[in-house]
Amino acid sequence: MTGTPSTYAGVADVVAVLVLLTEFAMLRAPLLRSQVRLYAFQSFVVTVLAIVVAATHHIPELYALAAFSLALKVILVPGLVLRLLRDADTDLAGSSTLGVASMILIAIAVSAFGFFTVGSLQVHSNALPTSALAIAAAVVLVAFVLIILRSDVVSQAIGFFSLENGVSVASLVVASGLPLVVDVAFLFDLLVAVVVFGVIMRVHHGRGKTLSTEELDRLRG
Amino acid sequence: MSAILIVIVSLPFAIAVATYFLPVALSKVVTVVSGVTVFGLSVALIPTVVHTQVAAGSLLRADALSLVFLVAVGFLYGATAIFAGGYLHLEQGPAGNRYGRRFYAGLNLFCWAMAVTPLVNGLALLWVAIEITTVVSALLVALDDTEGSTEAAWKYVLLASLGLGIALLATIIMYYAGTTVFGGAYNLSYAKLLVGAHHFPPDVVRLAYVLAVLGFGTKMGLVPVHTWLPDAHSEAPTPVSALLSGSLLAVSFYAILRYFQIAERTLGPTFPRDILLVFGIASLLLAALYLLKQRDLKRLLAYSSVEHMGILAIGTSFGAPVAITGVLLHVLAHAAAKGTAFFGAGSVVRKFGTKDMTRIRGGIGALPWSGPMLVAAILALSALPPFGIFRSEFLIVSGGLSNSRDWVAAIFLVLVTVAFFGLSWYTTQTMLTPDAQSSVDGEGGAVIVKKGEPSISIVVSMAIGLVALTILGVHIPSQLSQLLDHATSELASPRK
Amino acid sequence: MGTARTALRADGLYMNVKFVEVRGLAATVIAPQVVQALQVLTILCGAPLVSGIIAHMEGRLQGRRGPRILQPYYDLIKLFRKENLVTEESSWVFLAGPVIAFGCYLIVPLLIPVLTTFGLPLGYMGDILGGGFILALAGFAVALAGTESGAPYAQLGASRAMTFGALIEPTILFVVFTVALITSTDLPYALAATVRSSASEIVRPGHVLAALAFFLVVLVDTGRIPVETHSGTLEFGMIDEGRTLEHSGPALALLKWGSAMKQLILYTILINVFVAPWGLAASGDVGAVLLAILALLGKAVVVGLVFALIDNSFSKLRLFKITEFIAAAFLLAGLGVLVFFAGGG
Repeated sequence: MTGTPSTYAGVADVVAVLVLLTEFAMLRAPLLRSQVRLYAFQSFVVTVLAIVVAATHHIPELYALAAFSLALKVILVPGLVLRLLRDADTDLAGSSTLGVASMILIAIAVSAFGFFTVGSLQVHSNALPTSALAIAAAVVLVAFVLIILRSDVVSQAIGFFSLENGVSVASLVVASGLPLVVDVAFLFDLLVAVVVFGVIMRVHHGRGKTLSTEELDRLRG
Repeated sequence: MSAILIVIVSLPFAIAVATYFLPVALSKVVTVVSGVTVFGLSVALIPTVVHTQVAAGSLLRADALSLVFLVAVGFLYGATAIFAGGYLHLEQGPAGNRYGRRFYAGLNLFCWAMAVTPLVNGLALLWVAIEITTVVSALLVALDDTEGSTEAAWKYVLLASLGLGIALLATIIMYYAGTTVFGGAYNLSYAKLLVGAHHFPPDVVRLAYVLAVLGFGTKMGLVPVHTWLPDAHSEAPTPVSALLSGSLLAVSFYAILRYFQIAERTLGPTFPRDILLVFGIASLLLAALYLLKQRDLKRLLAYSSVEHMGILAIGTSFGAPVAITGVLLHVLAHAAAKGTAFFGAGSVVRKFGTKDMTRIRGGIGALPWSGPMLVAAILALSALPPFGIFRSEFLIVSGGLSNSRDWVAAIFLVLVTVAFFGLSWYTTQTMLTPDAQSSVDGEGGAVIVKKGEPSISIVVSMAIGLVALTILGVHIPSQLSQLLDHATSELASPRK
Repeated sequence: MGTARTALRADGLYMNVKFVEVRGLAATVIAPQVVQALQVLTILCGAPLVSGIIAHMEGRLQGRRGPRILQPYYDLIKLFRKENLVTEESSWVFLAGPVIAFGCYLIVPLLIPVLTTFGLPLGYMGDILGGGFILALAGFAVALAGTESGAPYAQLGASRAMTFGALIEPTILFVVFTVALITSTDLPYALAATVRSSASEIVRPGHVLAALAFFLVVLVDTGRIPVETHSGTLEFGMIDEGRTLEHSGPALALLKWGSAMKQLILYTILINVFVAPWGLAASGDVGAVLLAILALLGKAVVVGLVFALIDNSFSKLRLFKITEFIAAAFLLAGLGVLVFFAGGG
């Protein structure tokens, strides 16, 4: 058993756990609108974490990064998806293959796997406690569960975006010194990917008048 | 020399922007010029790169390994541009115009991203470049706006983005491995990573490598993360399919090779090779089986791509220099062969109006030039001499035998034969049968067509492809052969 | 300075109280056994008070005057004066159930830190798991008595209570595991001491998650929104309330008193082990002990207020959605354990 972490580490850990809990909440959210809002909240928590790291470790570039990701992930992306939902005018509730309790149990098992795998790596970082990396891995894995078990376009897209959130937390833990240029390139790429997702979501909706992916089984074999 | 790099990196982008505004007829020509130029420039770099690396600033770098892939991309860029000129049938009026402009802008942008990928210096920029290729190609797949293409585009963008998310995690973890040696802030340039690789913590590198193979393997088409591939490659417009199969998969493989280089230095050769072996055999097995039962011509070729990616992975896992040379040659030969095959498929689709192989009969009769060339291309894909793929697969197998991977080599040969059986079955059914008047079992029977080529450009592009294949198979030019050897030495033996 | 002995009779127990003058202040030290008895007494007598205050505040929050604060006491007195009515199908179990439950609720305060920071003589009879077992026994006895009556709603409530009780068990176990992982024992006193020791202990994620999970467990076990409507008799939604529908007279009084005691016990565990273990007596001083009693009741009232707020803000979940709620509680508890293993939780 490990010793007690410092207060800073404890607080940072709690914030990271909040990111993971939001991911679980997305599994459960029945309305697509609430999923999008949960994603906005999750991105906000990640931004807060970035600011905390920037403040305590005096990395000025992280402030710029945090501002950029705030604008992009908390405001712009959820705005775009909400607008798509409003225009879609159908299918406000997502559908899923399993019941909520089963999905949560599967997600717990999966995140336990992530915890133990990453925890055994003995990663040492001075930016955030090492459990934050395990939590980030768990977020990524639960995002996978979300994408697999949910069968509508918006949930899958939000699942992918929240996976990027998990990777962002991981990068805060181990790569907070990554050159700003590279970080901005990552974020810019995310923006472009979001645009593409949006375009294809629109096309999909335009074709089939539905946001469900259950019809997407024409191509087989 | 570094000026050439800068030109290669900026020309297609500028052309892409231009074609969005130019009339379509002009765009066709401009794209061909751009493609041929990029190919010519990349060939011009060969003599220099054989001796030393070429760099432009700290962001661009070309060594032998990257040049092999660049040549493959450049070749297909030019050939596809010629093919597309003849293949595209645009309706008159604004809708057709819009489609044409989007198509050419997208095509050039796509080729730009694929040309940039081997030239960037560093794992982080590599990820960014491949993400750009994903994004652009997803839009291109959806261009046709049919139900099938929408479905294919959604699956593609979702799965490829997921894979790249994992690859991003891999990049970050590899970055962390570097910080244990280099301290806080450094850029992930290849030279630095290769030098420090011996001191990286092995567990971390192991995790990063596996994640990279999984993540970039999604884009490469390794089983079990290949599921988007048959859909996307068959539903995209045919020139895009050719580029996807011939170049994009190869470029994703390049990304895996960069991680392979680092992992080999940290972990020793066994673990990285074994991982690739597992994925390679799975891909080859699944593709060979699926090739036996296909209905759609382009889907058939897509599964053949999965097969060849499996071959690349298996070849790399053999490890012997002979096998590595075979792998790199295979990259070039597969680009040429797959490109030609898709061009032929495009010609067939143009002629017969359908991709459904049960309705296509008498291909050779209806297409006097592209028909036989399509048959030749598909046979080339099945490793028929004297084409390049025969030589590359031969090198791979002999590499495996020399490294005492006898069982694997045997399985390899069996599966490649199974794939050959599938491919040749459908080829004979569609192309080498007499004309449609005799019957079949497709809906409404076979399509009846007049004899004649849809377009001369298609024929020309296919001819170019076959010539390249023959050159690669019969006698590789000495410069190219030196390039391959140099690249092999970079990959095969870790410098201690 | 002088010593004098005074013998006091209270409930048939002899108490020895020493008066000692120290620095001009009169401080009396109570023997540990007495303190332990006081713990039981506090829970016994304080439980209806806490219930009454909570009901009153809930009424106030809803904009009405709310019942009298001492109303539960009047209810108990009224019930004790009535007679027991028993259905024809029931046997001795029907009347034994409430008594057994009441007895269990008298035992549990011996084991948990109600008033003191140190373990009392009988306090080592059982740890937190032992306390959990005894509470489960009480619930079982009540459910059995309810089923025994042969009435449909009582049986419905009893079976539901047992089902959800079983479903919440893994959460309780994981909470206990977290406690055990943090302190290497599962004595509740040890965790209380750890939490008091420094601020970093409060914010460690394992502790926060376990506290949240236990909060949800208390919500389920005391039958509050969103699991069950605490007031009113909506039979189809009743879980805990339904078990006691058929009892009357003194048996019902014991049941009501028992459930109030259970509520206060759970609040006590939540407060004194997880959330706010301050204000407990560090020694046997009369002053400290009295302060501890007041602190406990005050904190319990605050917790009750929180529950009342939740009552008025959310609606009851449909029955099959309660499993989602329980899954969420399990998620929190499970994560608490996992984060601990991930390093530093």
